[in-house]
Amino acid sequence: MTESETPVRIRQLEDTDIGGITALDEKIGGQYRPEIWERRIGYYLRRDPEALVVAELDGKVAGFMLGEVRSGEFGLEEPTGWIEVMGVDPDLRGQAIGRRLAERMLSHFQNQGASSVRTLVDETMTEIASFFDSLGFEPAPLRSFVKSL
Amino acid sequence: MNLTKTYIPKKFHQAVVKWQETYLPDYDFLLDNWDRYFPRDTRFELCAFREMGMCNEIECGEQKGSTKFRQAAEMEHQQGLHVLGAVKAQASTEFGSIQQHQLTLARAQEEEEQFWILRMMAEELRHGYQMFHLLLEDDWSAVTDQSGPEMVEEILSMQTGSHILGAFNVDFDSFIDNVTFCALIDRVGKYQLSMQRISAYKPMAESMPQMLREEAFHLAAGVVPLRRWMEKAAQDSVYITTQDIQKAINKWLPRGLEMFGDERGGGTNVRYGLKPMKNAEAQAQYYQEVGKVVRDLNMRFIRARLPELSLAQAESLLEKLLADGGSSRGISLEELISMPHRDFFRRRGVPAFKMVGWAGENFDDVEAYLRHLTVHLPDGYRAGRDFKDYAQMIRRVASAELTGDEAARTMPGLRRVGGVCPCSRAVRWVVEEPDGNGSGGQAQAAR
Repeated sequence: MTESETPVRIRQLEDTDIGGITALDEKIGGQYRPEIWERRIGYYLRRDPEALVVAELDGKVAGFMLGEVRSGEFGLEEPTGWIEVMGVDPDLRGQAIGRRLAERMLSHFQNQGASSVRTLVDETMTEIASFFDSLGFEPAPLRSFVKSL
Repeated sequence: MNLTKTYIPKKFHQAVVKWQETYLPDYDFLLDNWDRYFPRDTRFELCAFREMGMCNEIECGEQKGSTKFRQAAEMEHQQGLHVLGAVKAQASTEFGSIQQHQLTLARAQEEEEQFWILRMMAEELRHGYQMFHLLLEDDWSAVTDQSGPEMVEEILSMQTGSHILGAFNVDFDSFIDNVTFCALIDRVGKYQLSMQRISAYKPMAESMPQMLREEAFHLAAGVVPLRRWMEKAAQDSVYITTQDIQKAINKWLPRGLEMFGDERGGGTNVRYGLKPMKNAEAQAQYYQEVGKVVRDLNMRFIRARLPELSLAQAESLLEKLLADGGSSRGISLEELISMPHRDFFRRRGVPAFKMVGWAGENFDDVEAYLRHLTVHLPDGYRAGRDFKDYAQMIRRVASAELTGDEAARTMPGLRRVGGVCPCSRAVRWVVEEPDGNGSGGQAQAAR
């Protein structure tokens, strides 16, 4: 099925999607983590709910993307969109759902005054890296550092 | 997002602050502890926001395609009356809900949930302030003889029992009401705000986007605690049961359905370009959405009770219980929550006073119906004034002393007995500044 044929609806995330996102996360990662999604979605909903998007297919969450515009972090003073969490139903990959989610979110970021959008990707997750690559993202000079405590 | 931030004239701003000190005394505590629970969130501010750059043309109805109205005087008289009624009703709900939440706010068991509700109350205060901004910024003299100050005074003087919509005249009995109210009644608010976002009266449309953003969290402040409680209930917590939640839903859902207005109405709002949907259509969508919440809560219960089940197994167990009733794998249908019939316990609209039971069954005998209601409603509620008033009214309808429509027009009329100091009726919220200084709100670009 091509992108135009996929009857997926891209819309703003709502409180009623918590169960669907929890289920999708479980399908992707194998773990049932309702508390994490209740807290995380509660956090995002009180900040910029219009930035949050889900893909809905037959009444179920087929994908989601969470993020927001922030400024002043990591020396980045200008408003910057951050894509922080995303997931697409493994059975529906290759149908441009992720792309459509990103287009909607990036359009919102632009309306918010963001001139760039950033994300962090684990180098070992090549599929996600190539997804962002296909959207026109490029490696940035800002490097991630970590230290165990 | 292109927001303009505005303040209402000083004397009205001070009237709202005075009202807040009376009905939202924890406001300063919220601001003092804001960073503890919302460390990265913009601090709350009492102000009005208007979204710039919205659609300039009327989006539905007979005037579709014409330029939206920027002033009340530009509208037809009846159209202006409809807008004014909506602004006043919206303002009443915002202030009314704070009065309700304050009753039981202190009873929360979890500090985080209490803080979420407190933030939500502050944002409702801002929403009320937003409506005052609409009442005070425009000249409504072509629509009403009531002046702006009189309208503000009238709304600030309302109490639980004298608000415009029924849901805001019902007392809270426990913190379960705070949470259930957010999940069900604020959800109606979301529908109303979404519909008013296209209003032909542009200042109303421009007021909606920021209110809707804040409303999204208000719904979460209801649904997230309910989800957590379903988990606790599944683990046989002594603090909450699904029956408690079910009874709270039974108490509030009928009031939520009634907030959409009579099922036969709403056409005028569509015709005037004020809302895109008639009452029955919006109400049906709402009922369906609450059904989704209920299903989600039941899944939360099943997964917590039987963690060994996969998602698919839990879904099929829920389907089996809903289809066959009874019990399976140690869970009975009675342990889950269900949607009351949409005509249950109604006192406005088409089903008003028709004695429809929780599952949609019809009753002929009023006393049997009242006994049925007492089984399905929270103990604290049925022992209260609102239920007693309802019972008296439905008995009068059953004895043909009143028609259902006549009874509907008189409900609810919660009488305060000893709960409010009589002298409070003499309080005036809007006080003239001695130096005449008190006008002149100021606007600035917010974001």
